[in-house]
Parts: sequence; C-alpha cells; structure tokens
Amino acid sequence: MINLKKYYSTQSFDTRSVINILVILLSMIFFAAVFSQGVFLQQKNLINLLMQNAALIIITLGQLLVIVTMGIDLSVGAVMAVSSVLMVLFQDFGVVGSIVAALGGALIFGVVNGALVTFIRLPAFVVTMATMQIGYSVAKLLSDAAGSRGGTVYTSLGGMELPTLYSEFYKGNLWGAPLPILVSFGFLILIALYLKTKNGHFIYPVGGNEKTAFLSGVPVWKVKMAVYMLSSVLAGVAGIIFVSRVGLGDPQAGGPWIALDSIAAASIGGASLSGGLGTVLGTFFGVIILGVLNNIMNLLGVPPTLQPAIKGLVILIAVYLNTRRKMN
Amino acid sequence: MENQPVLSLRKISKSFAGIKVLHEIDLDFYPGEVHCIVGENGAGKSTLIKIISGAYQPDEGSITYQSQILRHNNPHLARQNGINAIYQEIDLIPTLNAAENISLGNEPTRKGGDIDWRAVQKTSDKILGDMGAGLDTTIPVQNLKVAHQQMVAIAKALSMNSKVLILDEPTAVFSGSEINLLFEIIEKLKSQGISIVYISHHLDEIFRIGDRVTVLRDGNLVRSGLVGEFDKNSLIKAMVGRDIDFSLRNKSKITGEIVLEVRDLTSSEVEGVSLTLRSGEIVGMAGLVGAGRTELARLILGADSHSSGELLLKGKKLKSLNPSKALGLGMGMLPESRKEEGLVLVRPMAENIAYSQIQRESRFGFPPWRKVKEEALKMVSAVDIRPNNPNIQVTYMSGGNQQKVVLSKLLAADCDVLILDEPTRGVDVGARMEIYSLMKEVKDRGAAILMISSDLPEILTQSDRVLVMSGGKIAGEFSAAEATEEKVLKLALQIQEESL
Amino acid sequence: MKTQNKGTSWLSWIGNNSALVAFIILFVLGSIFVPNFFSRQNFSAILYQYAIIGFLALGQLLVILTAGIDLSQGSLVAFTSIVVALAMSKYGILPAVLAGLLATTVLGLINGLLVSRTRIPAFVVTLGMMGIARGLALVLSDAKPVSVEIESFVKFGRANIFGIPVSAIILLAFCIGIGYFLKNRKLGRYIYAVGGSEESARLSGIDVKKIKLFVYAASAFLTAIGGVIWTARLSSGSPIGANNYEMESIAAVIVGGGSLFGGVGSVFGTVIGFLLFGTINSILNLVGISPYWQGTIKGILILLAVALSQLRRLREKKSEVKK
Repeated sequence: MINLKKYYSTQSFDTRSVINILVILLSMIFFAAVFSQGVFLQQKNLINLLMQNAALIIITLGQLLVIVTMGIDLSVGAVMAVSSVLMVLFQDFGVVGSIVAALGGALIFGVVNGALVTFIRLPAFVVTMATMQIGYSVAKLLSDAAGSRGGTVYTSLGGMELPTLYSEFYKGNLWGAPLPILVSFGFLILIALYLKTKNGHFIYPVGGNEKTAFLSGVPVWKVKMAVYMLSSVLAGVAGIIFVSRVGLGDPQAGGPWIALDSIAAASIGGASLSGGLGTVLGTFFGVIILGVLNNIMNLLGVPPTLQPAIKGLVILIAVYLNTRRKMN
Repeated sequence: MENQPVLSLRKISKSFAGIKVLHEIDLDFYPGEVHCIVGENGAGKSTLIKIISGAYQPDEGSITYQSQILRHNNPHLARQNGINAIYQEIDLIPTLNAAENISLGNEPTRKGGDIDWRAVQKTSDKILGDMGAGLDTTIPVQNLKVAHQQMVAIAKALSMNSKVLILDEPTAVFSGSEINLLFEIIEKLKSQGISIVYISHHLDEIFRIGDRVTVLRDGNLVRSGLVGEFDKNSLIKAMVGRDIDFSLRNKSKITGEIVLEVRDLTSSEVEGVSLTLRSGEIVGMAGLVGAGRTELARLILGADSHSSGELLLKGKKLKSLNPSKALGLGMGMLPESRKEEGLVLVRPMAENIAYSQIQRESRFGFPPWRKVKEEALKMVSAVDIRPNNPNIQVTYMSGGNQQKVVLSKLLAADCDVLILDEPTRGVDVGARMEIYSLMKEVKDRGAAILMISSDLPEILTQSDRVLVMSGGKIAGEFSAAEATEEKVLKLALQIQEESL
Repeated sequence: MKTQNKGTSWLSWIGNNSALVAFIILFVLGSIFVPNFFSRQNFSAILYQYAIIGFLALGQLLVILTAGIDLSQGSLVAFTSIVVALAMSKYGILPAVLAGLLATTVLGLINGLLVSRTRIPAFVVTLGMMGIARGLALVLSDAKPVSVEIESFVKFGRANIFGIPVSAIILLAFCIGIGYFLKNRKLGRYIYAVGGSEESARLSGIDVKKIKLFVYAASAFLTAIGGVIWTARLSSGSPIGANNYEMESIAAVIVGGGSLFGGVGSVFGTVIGFLLFGTINSILNLVGISPYWQGTIKGILILLAVALSQLRRLREKKSEVKK
C-alpha cells in the first residue's frame, strides 16, 4: 500500500488525473453493478453503452486536441450534420466516394476554423460558434436541395434515406465486436499515436504556454491548424457512423448539444479549458463516465426529467475539483 | 522642507525563496521633497517601493506613516491613506477615458445617485490643468500615448489626496518636452507638500529634480544624503563599489570562427546594432533596463522582425527568420522571464527539457523518443536538477532549478549559439555556480554565448568580451581585461542621458 | 488622433459602427427593393419575433461586459415558463409571474456565486446551469407542457398597441433603462471597469465579486422576463424548446460591437445587433430565399464583426506611440 501511494505521488499530473478519473469510473461501475444486481455488467448492456457512445468518443477526441491547445470547437455537431448529409448526397459515388465527400466537407470547416484562429487570431469560441451556425445552415440547405433528387426520400426533418449497404456496417461484427465500437477504439489508438508525433505532442506546450512554445522553436501555426482540422474530420467520421446507424443524413444529427457534451466529457476526463492538460485515456473515461451516469440513472429509475440536472451538477463538480488541483 | 518625515522605514528586510533582497533598510521621506532612489538592476528598488505601496509585506521591520505604524498594508489601503505608486504597468481601466479613470471609485453624484458627469469632467480638467497636462480626456486611455497614460495615472493619484507619490522610472516612456512637463508637475506637487519617491537610472534627472538621494546596492542601503553632497562620479562609485571575486573569472581564451554576425540591425527598439560572436567565447551584454538588450535578443532569434540590417548565422544570411528556423541552425534562447516565456509550467520537467530537441531531431514528424528520454535524464543528473523526478510539474520547482531546466532545453537540443537573457536572475548562489560552470563547459566545447545580464560582477567575471548597450544602441565594447564596473556603468548611463 | 485627416476619420467611424451601417444599408435596400418590407405589419412582425431574444441579449450584454458568458439562458427561459405556468393555475397572474422571476433570478445568483468565488470558468458554470435548469424544468413539469388557462395573460403575449407588440414596448423601456444605468450609475460604470481590467478595478476599491454576482443575477432576471413572454405566447409552460437562445443573444451582442474580452459593448449596439438579424430574416423571407440561409449569413456576420474588432484593436495598438 505504501508503495502504491509513493508511486502515485511521483507520477505526472496528467497520469494522476487519469488514475483519479479511473477510480471514479470504477466506483460508478461498481455501484451500478451492485444496484442493478449484475444487470449492468451483462454483455448486452456494456456493448450497448459503447455503441451509444462511439460517436461521442470520436468527437470528444477531436475536442480534446483543441482544448489542450487552449481552444474550443463548438462546430463539431454542425460538422457532423453536414457530413451526414454529404454522405447521402454522394451515395452514387460508392462507399469510398461518399466517405471522401463527407470527410472532405468536414475538412473545409477545419481549415476555416484553424485559419481564423491561428492566423487572424480570432477567439476560438466565437469562430466556432459562427461556423456552427453556418454548418447547420449549410446542412439544411444541402438536404433541401437534394429533396428534389429522384430516388431519395425526404423525411420531415429534411433528411434523406439510404440504401442498406451502410446500415450493414452498423450492424456488422468483427471477431464478435460490433464494428462501430472497433472503429471508436481504433480512433482512440490513432489519436494516442498522433500525440506521439512531433506536432501532436506539441499541443501541450502550445496550449500550456504559447510564448514558450514559440521561443523554443515549436511551429505553433502547424500545431494549431492540425488540431482544428482533426477535430472537424473526426466530427465527420461521427457523421458517417450516424448515417450507418439511422440510414439517413440529418441536418440535426447528434442533437443540438453534442458539442457541449464533448466539452463536458473532455473536462471530466481531465482536460483543462486553460490548455496544456488532458489525455486520450482520460477523455475515454470521461465519455464513459457520462455514459455510465446515464445508465445508472436509468437503472435507478431516475426520471429522465432529472437527468440533465444531474449531468450539469456532475460537470460542475468535476471541473471544480480539476481547477482546485491545477492551481496548487 | 519640514523636519518630520511623513513616511519612515525602519529595519525593513525581505526575502524571496530564501534569497534576501533587502537588508534592514532605514529610510525617511519628508513632505515637499523629492527623494531619489538609485541602484543597479536587482539592487532592491522595486521591492522597496512595493513594500511601501503595500503590494508586498516586509519580513522584518516597520513602516511608520504620518506618525502611525502601518500594519497589514495592502495596495488599496495604502491608496486610501494617501500612498500612491505609479508603475510602468499602468493600473488604469484601458477601455474607459481619462476623466472617468481619475474619478473611478470616487465618482461625484447628483441627487438620486446618478453620476454627475459634469463634475467628473470638471475634476479631471482641474487636476490635469493644475498639472499643466493637455490631453484628450474623452478617448479610452489605451489609445493615449503611454506618456499621457502616466499623466492620467498621476492625476488619479492626486485626486485621492496623496501625501506620498512613488514614481517608478517615470521618464522611461517620455520624450524631451514631456519630461520638462513632468518636472514642472513635480515642482508643483512639492510646493503642495507631497513627498515624492523617485526611482530612476537617469543621473541627470536626479541632479535636476532631486532633493535627497539614497543608493541601494545588493539590497543594502549604501549611502543616503542630500543631493548636493554628491556628484555623478561619487554616485556611480556608491552604486558599484564592491569587491569582485576575480578568482571566478573566466580564464580560457579559445576563440574560433565567427558564428553570429549582426550588421546594422534596426527596428523600433534598436538602432544600427552591429556585433560579432565567435565560437568558444562568452560575450556579456551589459546595460540598463530599457536599453534594448532583450529586444535585440528577440531580433537575433527571429522572434521579432527588424526593419533593416542583416543577420548572418554561421555565414548564412538569414531572411524571414523565426525561432523555429533559428533552432534548426543551432541557435536557442533562454528568455528573460522563465515563467512566462521559458517554461510551460503545468507540464512535467522532462517534457520541458525536450521541446527544442524534439523539434530539431524529429524525422518525418516522429521524435526519437528513446533518445529524448535518455537525454532528459542525462541532463537532470549532469545539471543536478532537483527534485529529480522527471514527472514533476515545473511550477513546483525553485527558481534556480527552473532556470536549469530552461538551460537544459537548449543543451539537449545541441544548440551551439546560445542567447542567455539574465541567466542567474532570481537564482540562489549554489545554482548560480552550477550555471556558470555549465556555461564554461559548453563554451569550451565550441559554443558561442551571448549573455545579457544586469549583474555587473557576473558580466565581469564570466565574459570574454563586454558589450554595453544604451538607448537602443551599442555604446561601447571592452575586453575582459579592461572592463571595470565603473567603466561599464558609465557607458550604460551616458547615452541614456544624452537622449533627453 | 489629431494627426488623422478627414478622409480616414470617416472610414474609422464606419469601422467603429459597422453594425449600424450594415443595418441602415440593409434597411434602405429592403425598403426600396423588397415588396412588403416597409410596412407596419412587417416591422411589427420583426419586433414580435425578436422581443424575447432582445431581453436575453440585454442580459447577455451585462455578462459579456465583465468578460463572462451566460450559456444557461435558453434553459432558464424554459424553467421560468414552467414555474409561471404551474403557479398561475393556483395563484393567479401576478404571483405566478413574480414567482417565475424570483426563481430564475435565484438560479442566476448561483451562477454569479460560482463565477465570482470559485475558479470554475464562467463557460463551465453556465454550461452546468444549462443542464440543471433544464432538468429542474423537466422535473417540475414531469416532462409535459403545462397549459396556461388565463385568457388575459395569453392575450398580453400577443397584444399590440398601435400595431407595435406590447412585448417590444416593454423591451424598449428596459433598453432605455439599462442603457441609462450603464451610462450614469456607478454600478453600471463599474461593470465596464471590471471588464476593462479586473485588477485595476479592484485596486480602485471596486467590489469585483459583487459586480459579477450582480450581472449574472441580472442576466437571469432579464431572461426570466423573456421567459414570461414566451409562456404567454405558447399559452403554456414548456420544459423543452428555447434551445440555443443563448447563442442568438451572444451573437446579437457580438455583432453589436461587444467583445468577449470584456469592457466593450453597448445597449444600442446590441439592439442594432438583433434588429440586424431580424431585418435579414425578414428580407430573406419576403424575397423567398430559403430561411436556411439565415444561419450562414448570421455566421458570416459574426465572423465579420469579430474580425473588425480585432482589426481595430491591432490598429489602435500600432498607433500608440512607443518609447
């Protein structure tokens, strides 16, 4: 025991952060398992949990990168919506073609966000709030325009239907694990690897102290452009997964709060809005904590009406604890 | 001049992180007098005035103000009591105009509680008019010339019935005619019985406006008396006269090729600067605060752009330089302010050491992680960084160790042209010695070091050559053998005065 | 600025009042080229549509002036509506409205307490409150709309006086009041001071914590007024809806010249901000362009507004004479 304590205290702040969050998560899981008399731990439930949060995991990874550089990306929900619509619009170009279209469209947002924040030095909050408005609007316009295309069906939301090929992906399995879950894990690994590259690793000094990073020779502009582009592309991936799940493109994909959810999840996972702190593993735990929280509330029979309130409280508490530790 | 001091300091001492910066200072300030405080950088002047204005608490000693002992002083309380400090970082509200800033917190109101704007304008007009300062009181103060901002700050202090006014390097941002105006204002304030504490490097000003002068050196009060008792030379002697341990002197004389050449560099901060740096030598750059040394360093590194002139690094002409490119060619800088520009405080120590090395040695975007980790650990032991846990956030380390981390960053990246800006500022004696021996080691291996320092003994003992900067220009050069403190300080002060 | 000649000062005036200029241009163009734009009916519709956002924008302005932000406004609207609707059936109009205003202001006070006394960023505090308020609304209403029976209350929401919506008139009164407050009352000026430089404000003896507490409470109060009007118009309290209203109010403040860094912004600018959006909406509708273009135009406007203020800041820094 003494050794564990000593080990813990010698670790870096980020590592300790992850350990703290893991402890919280495990306690929540334990609590859920006990209270549900084991139902929580059933494979079906766990798979469900991961499936529901696959898109959020991917989006939050992008948000993590941006937040670590002391930025924020409010446009991820809108980009997800645009990508979903683009994917359906370009379905005639085959699977690859439609994916390229979806991600290409997402990338444009990333470039615009990145350029405005990096070169014109506009505040990220305002820039991504604006591109969010533009994004939702563009998604609606695109689906509106496509409404007149032969072969697609117009739902009342302005979405479009898709042949079942894509839906197969969602229901697909590889070695028993559903594909979307594998894809989200794949991205977890990919982003973790990105953080091992030069410009990926540099998000920490850039966010922690941009002046220092600059004087130390870090190519700050490259690092910043990359995170905004990655965030948007990842949102695009989430849009693709969405399409495979519901079989249509929707200008309101993900709901109006997915951007804020991703910020909340990242914050719970240890990322600091002042930049320089945060990890992939912590982010994953943060998303799962929110997911498990939902699960627990359902299991406990907490009325769905109370859930946003509890979520809000959890976010406040998590961030409060975080800010106390950092400023020691 | 009256006989009773309005403000008295007795046995004031202060330490930061174990380093004593003020030793039992006894001082009196009289109403209607201008009391100048002089000393080199690091002599303790700013700490002293921060204690008077309540920003710092003394560790020992007492402050007596208007015959009462001042306890638990804080800036707001001090202001209310009539002690006002005007720093260079002006504490006005930048988005509000001068009239409003002057009345801020004490606005005159009409019946019903509304602000009486006419009275606000009248107050500001009167105070500024009495001062003889004509400036636009309707625009946000951030749009005023810095000199005018200072005047507004002074006006604000006056509006609060100050008895003691502290001016910290007031003329640093003034030009000729404005300085005259400032002195007229000071004369008026004197006649009103206000006691003025005047900190300045400009000896000419002291003889022009000062009644009393106190010389601080290394936190000690060296001499204090009426201005008439001194002349320039005796002042300078008092400021520097210390025993320098020349056994610390750098004796090696290996100098090689020219690695850095600066030709006629000009920007908004420096004018026509030329210098050369050879491998195997340490060039010390002396000068007062505001002389342009840090600005020059930033220009050489490429952090700021110059308007004319040339930079040659290892024979290569450098165009559109930035720190990233400079690093690629082996040049790195240890910035003046390590917390703000040298370190990422929330990140681990080993990571901080690695930044420049990673930038320089990554291939195809991938850092050589194993080598990076090994190098960091090597640095920790070679440079004796404590605590030696590579994961610890740098913010928890002492100043000396933090400085070693920044230095390690440059060494880990194999920089052979090093610009060190105040390498031992705020560093304890032990770490200081370690840094010196590191510098020597690196230099013996062929590196070239440009060392900016306000610590004259350091300049004299560590440099092979000494350059003196003043007013944005190179004022002169000495070899290690010919340099003395007096010579250097004289040069540092002279051109500053001529530019008045 | 004495060195500037007449020509450039025209340009800089336009730069400083770009929202107003844009509004005037659009208004004039709309009146000339767009049929039915210049009519009492249309103006009334614009005012009607934006009255609620107007209240929110006033509150958001106060918060943004202190370099803060209030993301909870949308949820607070819903919360207010539930409190008002629930209380109205039991206690009548006046007590219900007062209850709604009071309850919501209390939530605003909580926002203010957290922002001023902890290190949690305002963004996160109001984000958390967004969820909490929404949750409270859902719980109290059991996730169902609560209908409001009293006729006179519902009528009030849609009433017009000489063709101008009553809600807009009340908004105008508040605009004048708050504008006056920000210009002539100490508390109003101190809000600007805190936003301009918190440290300097503190040194001048200003109680920064109190100011911050005040603006969040005031924002909630104004939002609550908007919520009351919203309830009247829906003739029910709704726990869902009013989504993203805070984004609208933030946009109005920013386009009207407010800066997220604090210390800059005005009631007049904010009003022009949402009137500008209203005008654009109206023109798009009347011309028959898909309303989906609104988002794009709004987004571009926000970017332009913030880019202009950045340019202004850079230009002002350069014109400052250095040593």
